[in-house]
Amino acid sequence: MNTDRRDQIRDCLEKHFSPVELLVKDQSHMHAGHAGAADGRGHFDVTIVTDKFAEKGRLERHRMVYGALEKLLESDIHALRIKALTPSER
Amino acid sequence: MDINDRIREQLDNNSVLLYMKGTPDFPQCGFSGQTVAALNAIGNPYATVNILEDPEIREGMKVYSNWPTFPQLYVNGELVGGCDIIVEMYHSGELQSLIKAVGDEEPGAESA
Repeated sequence: MNTDRRDQIRDCLEKHFSPVELLVKDQSHMHAGHAGAADGRGHFDVTIVTDKFAEKGRLERHRMVYGALEKLLESDIHALRIKALTPSER
Repeated sequence: MDINDRIREQLDNNSVLLYMKGTPDFPQCGFSGQTVAALNAIGNPYATVNILEDPEIREGMKVYSNWPTFPQLYVNGELVGGCDIIVEMYHSGELQSLIKAVGDEEPGAESA
């Protein structure tokens, strides 16, 4: 089930950003038992590299990622760590 | 008072304001804890709001800021970012410059 959620996040980000590099890690196991994990939603760590972030500030990049994952944030994602880079910043 | 008025009042009264889960002494979430650690390391005063104790602020902030997660750090009424951005800016030194600039402008900021 966790693999499915990770795939959903990955598919969603692929579709929105055509990233040159994309890494989605499920870190839910690190937070089992903590209050935020009680509703079953997970903790994920996303590293995404795309030229769509060029000329965009940090806030805007994170908002773009949150926007793409809006539905999953409600249903499956409790916490999300985001590293959003352009290819030249890698 | 309307929720957006409450938020604006909090932001007007506190130049450095962290909306977080829990308190600086007892953060209820690792991300809030890391953000507090960065602010404590800088050492300038800051105010916090525990969103777990105020569901209206918790929901209102997400809309006000167009940002779905906590913590959220505001400096001079502007959203600076969540945990990832704050920690990144701390490591690059940008956060120190930003917060120390506020301290220089307002020598009385600790009363916030």
